[in-house]
Amino acid sequence: MDLFLNLVASGLVIGSVYGLIGMSFAIIFRTTGVLNFAQGEVMMLVAYTAWTLTHTLLFPFWLLVPSTIVLAALIGMAIERLFIRPMTGQPIFAIVMVTIGIAITLRSLTTLVWGHEFEGFSVPFSGGVVEIGPVFLLTEQLAVLILFMAVSAMTWAFFRFSRVGMAMRATSQDETAALLMGVDSRRMSSFAWAISAIVSGLAGVMVSVLFARAPDMWHFGLKSFPAAILGGLDSPIGAGFGGLIIGVIGELSAGYVWNGLKEISGLILIIVILMVRPYGLFGEKELERV
Amino acid sequence: MRTGNHIESYPRHISLSDNPVVWFWLVALMAAMIVLPAFSGLFVLGLAIRILIAAVGAIGLNLLTGSTGQISLGQSGFLAAGCYTTGLLIADYNWPPELALPMSGIVAAALSFLVGIPSLRLKGLYLAITTLAFSFIITQFLLFAEPITHGPYGVRIEDTVLFGFDLAEPTTMYYFCLGILVLVTLGVLNIMRTRVGRAFNAIRDQDIAARAMGINLTTYKLTAFAASSFIVGLAGGLMAFQFRFINVDIFSVTLAIEALAMIIVGGLGSVAGAIIGAAFIILLPEFVGDAIGLLPAGISDVLARGALEIKGLLIGLVIILTLRLEPDGLIGVWRNLKRYWSRWPLSV
Repeated sequence: MDLFLNLVASGLVIGSVYGLIGMSFAIIFRTTGVLNFAQGEVMMLVAYTAWTLTHTLLFPFWLLVPSTIVLAALIGMAIERLFIRPMTGQPIFAIVMVTIGIAITLRSLTTLVWGHEFEGFSVPFSGGVVEIGPVFLLTEQLAVLILFMAVSAMTWAFFRFSRVGMAMRATSQDETAALLMGVDSRRMSSFAWAISAIVSGLAGVMVSVLFARAPDMWHFGLKSFPAAILGGLDSPIGAGFGGLIIGVIGELSAGYVWNGLKEISGLILIIVILMVRPYGLFGEKELERV
Repeated sequence: MRTGNHIESYPRHISLSDNPVVWFWLVALMAAMIVLPAFSGLFVLGLAIRILIAAVGAIGLNLLTGSTGQISLGQSGFLAAGCYTTGLLIADYNWPPELALPMSGIVAAALSFLVGIPSLRLKGLYLAITTLAFSFIITQFLLFAEPITHGPYGVRIEDTVLFGFDLAEPTTMYYFCLGILVLVTLGVLNIMRTRVGRAFNAIRDQDIAARAMGINLTTYKLTAFAASSFIVGLAGGLMAFQFRFINVDIFSVTLAIEALAMIIVGGLGSVAGAIIGAAFIILLPEFVGDAIGLLPAGISDVLARGALEIKGLLIGLVIILTLRLEPDGLIGVWRNLKRYWSRWPLSV
């Protein structure tokens, strides 16, 4: 039982990371209909920038968080402005291919600038151990869980109540009608990229605190696809909780069945789900008109 | 003045090319390819072999993604499957290479049904992710199923003698790959001018309309998956002879992206485009590497250390720029030039 609870806890921790990245996939997909294959790389770039802020420029923690958020937003907006907006009007296939191009460009650029070394990322709250019943968690693992909850709540509230969030939902439902109501859909796309870069950037910082700031961090982007699919690509909150489920299933299958399943149990799960429900578990079925 | 290309009969419409000039240059190209080993060193020959194998794989991917419109990010999984099939059959089961090579294609095609059947209900992005997931599962299986696949230790292939020719010899390998590429090219060109090929294009352009015209989507999508995977698996089998020591690290996500870059840069849906794209993507880092060598010593040292990153950077930028500036790829540039030339006073 203790093993089970500990596996669930570590599953929730890693699942929070998947969930945050899954959320950032969903934020872009929902607003613009583009699946951003470069999300893992955006996350990596933000994490590397934050690492430089802390370890080279010696930013204190209270300054690190807001400056990382601002930088992430700028990075997201810059990518959207430079690569995605010129593709407006092209088929979705072409835009998705462009994000694959962005992915490999950013990945190479980051390792070119920062090198191949693994580096630790130290934050004031890391290093302690928290004991909850039979479950042992490191303080930074607890911090990931808290961050996930906070970001989920904020994302939900943003899309539900704020003016911009509502405008973004309107754009995703009917772009023409939204334009007629005075919503600038180009700016919405820019916002979506910025918000998703912030969410995945925070996830990236947490990944480098948990493991290391490493040149293979972008793998987390690919590993988070199951989260986004499970929760439905058009629902950020669903994608977030999809991440938790995928994380727990991964840890449990690795603990009880076979170690090799850790990385792929989520993938197997979504293949089965997509066979039964081709639009994801919570995704809306698209009706086709001819 | 030429007024255009008037095609008046059906056989001429479906012929591979009705233009004697094209045939002349094709024969010239083949002759040049045949005499190449006599004039080139080992390095050029090695590059040529890489291009030939990549072209086989790119043609396979193009048949599925370019011609049938089924976006697959998982063809590197089939490449791995084909490569390991050939390698393991020769190394562990002492199969003759003559039989082990075609098995690479057959096993990959059989595996493709596993991907193809769920794909029948999926479209676009969901299909892309499912295929990506399959390629992960294949590489993970290769890494962890140690009793069957040697896991992380890799497979060494000793017996490379095919019909009395030793493929470890670069010149022999070159001619062998050239032969396979010609066969695959002819095969795919012939598929594309039959009912099957036209059905593939119809599915790509409008699958609902295709179904209304009496095209069985299930049959043709699975055919496309199987044919494409067979060719990609065959390319994998060739890679087993090229490297003679294989492990899972060869088949990374980057490889799948390079393959996509080949067909995007060359031109989606065109066999010639796939070959040109393969040559372009393989040669690009080489030329840039040479160009970096010409820079002042200080700069070139720094850049040479990041050679792998610069390669990735270039491939990414080439994908982005091609999609932005010329979505039809290099073959589109060529077609535009040709049209401009042949209709000159009236061309726009």
